[in-house]
Amino acid sequence: MTQLTGLGRSFTRGIAGLAAVGLLLTGCSSGSPAASAPASGAAAKFTVGFAVGGQPNADWQKLQGDVAASLAAARGWGYVQLSNDNSEATATTNADIFIQKKVNIVMTFNGQPAANPVMAKKYKDAGIPVVTFDIAQPGWYFVGVDNASAGTAGGTKLGELAKSKWNCKVDMVISAEGTSSGQINTWRTGNARDAVKTVCPDIPAAAYVSYEADGNLTTSLKNAPGVFAAHPNAKNILVVGINDQAVVGALQAATQLGRDGSIMGWGQDGGLITGKNVDPNLVGSVMYFLESYPADAFKIADQLAAGNAPAVKDTGDNAAVQIKPCPVTKDQAAAIPSIEARVTQLGAAPAGTTAYSLFCKA
Amino acid sequence: MQTSPVRTADGSASGRQDGSFVTDARDRTGLRDTLSILGVWLLLIIATTVVRPDFLSTQTLLAVTFTMSISGILAVAQALVVISGGLLDLSLPVSLTLSAWATVTALNNDLPTWAAIFIGILSGAAWGALNGLIVVFGKLNPIIVTLAMGFGGLAVLLLLFLSAQIPSDSDLRRFGLGRFLGLPNVFWPMVIVIVVAGLALSFTRWGRRLKAVGGNPQAARTRGISLPKTRFFVFVGAGAVAGLAGLCFAAVNPSFTPASGADFQLNVIAAVILAGISLSGGKGNLLLLLLSVGFLSTIPTSIAFFGLAPGWSLVLQGALLILAVGIDGYRLKRSAR
Repeated sequence: MTQLTGLGRSFTRGIAGLAAVGLLLTGCSSGSPAASAPASGAAAKFTVGFAVGGQPNADWQKLQGDVAASLAAARGWGYVQLSNDNSEATATTNADIFIQKKVNIVMTFNGQPAANPVMAKKYKDAGIPVVTFDIAQPGWYFVGVDNASAGTAGGTKLGELAKSKWNCKVDMVISAEGTSSGQINTWRTGNARDAVKTVCPDIPAAAYVSYEADGNLTTSLKNAPGVFAAHPNAKNILVVGINDQAVVGALQAATQLGRDGSIMGWGQDGGLITGKNVDPNLVGSVMYFLESYPADAFKIADQLAAGNAPAVKDTGDNAAVQIKPCPVTKDQAAAIPSIEARVTQLGAAPAGTTAYSLFCKA
Repeated sequence: MQTSPVRTADGSASGRQDGSFVTDARDRTGLRDTLSILGVWLLLIIATTVVRPDFLSTQTLLAVTFTMSISGILAVAQALVVISGGLLDLSLPVSLTLSAWATVTALNNDLPTWAAIFIGILSGAAWGALNGLIVVFGKLNPIIVTLAMGFGGLAVLLLLFLSAQIPSDSDLRRFGLGRFLGLPNVFWPMVIVIVVAGLALSFTRWGRRLKAVGGNPQAARTRGISLPKTRFFVFVGAGAVAGLAGLCFAAVNPSFTPASGADFQLNVIAAVILAGISLSGGKGNLLLLLLSVGFLSTIPTSIAFFGLAPGWSLVLQGALLILAVGIDGYRLKRSAR
C-alpha cells in the first residue's frame, strides 16, 4: 500500500479533520470558562504560533497542525502555522517569524532539537511562552508521552508473552536502538529490557544484545543480520526497539536468516502495527495517539489567555501534560481506527475525552 | 632504456607497438589488486574466527550474502558511470527508491508482476536518462549535477509518497523472502549483473568503447566514437541497473520511505574505489568489485561477532575509503611520471 500525498487526500483529510476537531473543540470550549476569556475584552487577539515538525513519513505531524488550527478557530483566536521542515535552521527562522508576528504562545514539535537552546533564548527575550511536544527544553511547557512508562509497558507485555509461551526460556533479547534520540532511546529500549528482566529474571545478562537501528527499517535490516549470525544458538528470541521500524527490521533480518521460527517483537509508536502488511512476528506495540497532542497543549493556552499562566513543567518526569502510552497487541491494534478516523471520533466525543480513554482498550 | 607509456584509445598505457606491455601491466595490476582485496578480506575472516570460531558458519554466509545483494547491484551501476569517465553518480539512492516505489505502486494497483518489474527498471533508466541529459548535453560536472539531482529527487519523492509497502502476498515479496541454493534469492541477481556486466566490459565492443571514452576521450573521438551518445547511454544503463536494485530493495523491505536509499551511498562508493576502479575513468574490473563488496559486507557481521557497536563498521569503511582513494591517487601520479 502506498501512502499518497496528493491533493485529493490532503483535501479530504483536511475537511474531515477540521470539521471533526471543530466539533470537538466547540464542545470543549463551551465547557471551559477559560476558553471564553480571550474573546471577552482582550485588546489584541490572542494568537497561537504553531510549528509542525515537517518530518517525512509522519502523517501525525500534519494532523497536529490541522487539529491546532481548528482549536484556535473554535476559540476565535489568531493562528500562525509554520513547518520546521525537520531542519534546525528552519526551526530557528520560524522562531524569528513568530516573534515578529507577536504571537502569544508558540507550540512546536522540533525533531532537530539542537536548535532549541538558541530558540529558547529568543523566546525568553521576547516573553513568549512555548509548549514543546515530546522533546523537553528547560523553560518550555512539556507535553509528551511518558517514554519511560512506554518502554516499561512494552517490555512488560513482551515479557509476559515470553512467560506464557516459553516459560521465560529466552535465549536472546535484542534491543534495536536509536542512540541519536538520546534519553528517549534509553527510556524506550532500556526500560523495555528492564521490564523483560523483571518479568523473566532468569534470563542471563549475556543474552541481552543491542545494536544500532537508527530508528528506521532499512538501517535495522542492514545491521541486524550480523547480530543473529553472532548468536547462532539463540532460538527463543525477543525484540524490543525505539520504534516499530527498528523492531520490524530485526524481525525481517531473522526471516532472511531462517531464525524466525520462535521470535517475538514489541514495538513503540504503533507505526507498523496496523494495516494489511503487519509483520507476523510483531506481536504488539505501544501507541501514543500523537495527533491529539494539540488538544492538551491548548489547555495550557487557555490558562495563559485567561491570565492564569500555569507553572512551567519542562521535563518528561515533571511534564505540564503527560500523555499516557497505550500498549496494544496486534489484534487489539487492528480494532483501533485509522488516524483520520480517530480525529473524527474525538471531535464527536464529549468535552474532556482523551484519545487514550477513547481508543486504548488494552 | 625506459619506454614512455602512450595513452591508447582504450585508456590504457602502451609501451610497444604490439601492445604486450599493456597486457602485462594490466595483468600485473589486476592480480595485485585481486590479491590485496582477497588478502585483507581473508585477514578479517581469520581475525574474527580466532576470536569467535563459530564465525565460519552458514548464518554468517547468509548474513554476508544478504548484505551484499543490493549494495552489489548498486556498485555495478556506480562502476559503469565511473569507468565511462562520469566521475560519480551521487543520485543513485534516488534511482533505487524511485524504482522501488514505482514497482510497489504497480503491484498495489494489481498490475502483474512482470509489468511491475518492467516499470521499476524503466523508472531507474528514466532517472538515469535525466541525469545523462543534463550532464552530457548540458556539459556540466557530473558530481555537482548528480548531487543536486539527489537532493531534488528526494524532495520530489517526498511529494510523491511518505511511505510505501509492498503487498505481502505478492510474488516479488515472496521472492525477497526466499532462497536459492541455500543463499538469499536477492543475492543471485547481483551475481548475474556482475558477471554479465563484467563480461560485457571485457569482451564486447560496447565495453571497449565505454572504457575508451572514460580512459582517453580524445583518442576515442578520433576513432569515431560518439562521446555524448556513449556517456548518455551509460547513465541510462546505470539507472536501469539501479532500478533492478530497487526491485530487490522493495522485495526485502516491507516498508520504506523516500530517504531509505541514502544508507547505501557510502558503502557503494567505497566498494567501487576499493575495487581499484579509478575515478579518472577508463579502468575497472567487476570481479574485483565483487570481492570488494564481499569484503565490505563482511565488516558489519565481524563487528557483531567482536561485540563492538555497529558504528565501528562505518568508521572502518570510511578509513578504507580514504586509503583506497590515496592508493588510486598514488597510482595515477606514478603512471604520469
